[in-house]
Amino acid sequence: MTDQSIYRAVLLDHFHNPRNKGDLGDMQIVRRGSNPRCGDEIEIGINCENNTLESVRFRGRGCSICLASASLMTESARGLKLTQARDLIEKMQLWFGDQGGVGPPGMGLAALGSVRQHPARKKCVLLAWQALDEILDEIERHPEIVGA
Amino acid sequence: MAAVDFEALRDDFPNLADGQPPLHYLDSAASTQKPACVIESIRHCYAHEYGPVHRGLYPLAENASENYEAARRTLARFINAGTTDQVVFTRSATEAINLVASGWAATHLQSGDEIWVSQMEHHSNFLPWQRVCNQRDARLRIIPVDDRGRLDLENAPELFGPRSRLIAISQMSNVLGTINPVREVVEHARRHDIPVLVDAAQSVGHMPVDVQELDCDFLVASAHKMCGPTGIGFLYGTSARLRETEPLLLGGGMVDEVGIDHSSWAEIPARFEAGSPNLAGAVGLATAVDYLSTIGLKAIEQRVRDLTDYAYQTLEAFDEVLLYGPETGNERGGILSFNIEGIHPHDVAQVAGEQGVAIRAGHHCCQPLMQRLGVSSTARASLNFYNNEQDISALADVINETVKLFGKR
Repeated sequence: MTDQSIYRAVLLDHFHNPRNKGDLGDMQIVRRGSNPRCGDEIEIGINCENNTLESVRFRGRGCSICLASASLMTESARGLKLTQARDLIEKMQLWFGDQGGVGPPGMGLAALGSVRQHPARKKCVLLAWQALDEILDEIERHPEIVGA
Repeated sequence: MAAVDFEALRDDFPNLADGQPPLHYLDSAASTQKPACVIESIRHCYAHEYGPVHRGLYPLAENASENYEAARRTLARFINAGTTDQVVFTRSATEAINLVASGWAATHLQSGDEIWVSQMEHHSNFLPWQRVCNQRDARLRIIPVDDRGRLDLENAPELFGPRSRLIAISQMSNVLGTINPVREVVEHARRHDIPVLVDAAQSVGHMPVDVQELDCDFLVASAHKMCGPTGIGFLYGTSARLRETEPLLLGGGMVDEVGIDHSSWAEIPARFEAGSPNLAGAVGLATAVDYLSTIGLKAIEQRVRDLTDYAYQTLEAFDEVLLYGPETGNERGGILSFNIEGIHPHDVAQVAGEQGVAIRAGHHCCQPLMQRLGVSSTARASLNFYNNEQDISALADVINETVKLFGKR
C-alpha cells in the first residue's frame, strides 16, 4: 500500500474493526441507504435524548469505503446535538462536493479525504451520512418519536 | 496459419507501448485500445480528406463519399454480408438494437406476441425489447442461464412456439465470456420463421464472424470494442428484414421526396442513416477491420483462448476466488468474471488500479444476470490479443494484495 492509496490505515482499521456495528432492534429510528449500482446496502439507527444523539449504530454490507465511512460516521455523530449533526453532514457534503475550498469537518474524518480524488466512490462515502440526514428529517417532522 | 508475433503487436498500441509505469489493460470488453494505424487514419481523414458525405459535387466531397462507402464495403466483406447495402452504420450496437426494436418489432408485434432474450443479455439488448413489449402489449420472455453460465435452451420450451416473434441473443456474454450456440438457435428459428438478432458486440473482431454462415436476420456491433473509434457501430440485416424496417431517425440524407403531408424514404441503407454521416468514424472502423484481418481472426481467437486458459487457471488457484461462467475451452471467450470471498469487487478494482491493472467492477449493465448469479456485482478481467503473460501475473498480484488488505484476519 502506497501513501497515495485510498486505503489508509484508518479506513482499513474501521473496515476490519467497525465501530457501533450490529443489531438495530433497540433503535428509535432506522433508515436504509442503498446504492443498487454497486450493491452497497446499509442501515443507520439512532437513539436520541434531549435533542442529543445518544447512540448511532449501523449494519449492512458494501465495499470497504462505504463500511468504513459508516463506522466513522457513527463515531463522529454520537453525542452531537441534532443541530450539530446536521451541520456536520452539511460540511461532509460540501467537502465531497464539486466546489472545493472546503476541508475535512474534523480530524477524525480526514482519512476519508483520500477518496475525494475518486469521484465514482464518493457515493460510497456519503451513503451513511445521507441516511443520517434522512433520520434528522424524520425527527423534524415527528419529534414525538424521540420523545420530544 | 503463419505464426503471429503478438508480443511485437503491442508496439502498435501507443497506450500500451508508451506506458510508464506499464499499463496492464484488462478491460477490453468495455472498450479496446486503439492501434496507431486507426488513430492515424482518423487524423488523416480530418486533415486531408475531410468533406461532407453524399452532399457535395466537388472533388473533396465526392472523395469523402467514396471513402465512406469504401468503409461500408470493407465492413461488409469482413462479416461476409451478401451485399454491401445490408450494412447500416449506426452510432453504436446500442443504437442498432434500438433501431430494430423501434423500426421492426414495434411494427410487427401484436398483442400477446413474445420477444425472447436471454438472462445474460446486456441492458442494451434487454431494455429496448422490454419497452417495445410494454408498448405493444407483448411479452418479454427470458431464456434461462444454467449454473455454468450457458443458455439453458431446454428450459425455454416455448422459444420457438407460435407466439414467438423475435429472438435477440448475444454471441458472447460481456460478463461470463460464454459463447452462445447462435447457429443452432437460428437453425431452429428458421423452421418457424422467427427472426433472430445477434448482439455481436463482444465477438466481432475477436473471432471469425460470418453472417451468412450464422444465417441470422440482424447482427449488431460497435467499432470501439474491436480496435476502432468510439461513436460508430453497425447493423447488419438481411435485405428482406431491412425492407420491413422503419427508420429510427428522420432527417437529412434519408429521404427520397419530402412533401407537406407525405414523404418517401431513400434506398437502403441511406434511409437508416439520417444526419451527416460519421465519416472519420467509418474510416477508422475500416482501418481497424483491415488491421484485424491482417493479423487474422483465427489467430486472434486462438491467442485470446490461450491467454484465457492461463488466466482462468491462475485465478482458479486462489481458494478465495470464485469464478463465474463456463470452464475454459471452446465455450468461452476472453472474459473472466470473479469475486473474492468477503471482499467487494470495487475494492478489488481500486487496488488493481493502484497497481496499474485496469479491470472492471460492477454489474456490467447486466442486472438480470447478476440476479441469477445471486450477486450485486463482480470483478471482471477481459482479454484481447495484445495482452500477455505479465498482465495476468499482475492480476494475480492484485488478488494477493487485495486478500492481504481486506481478507479476514
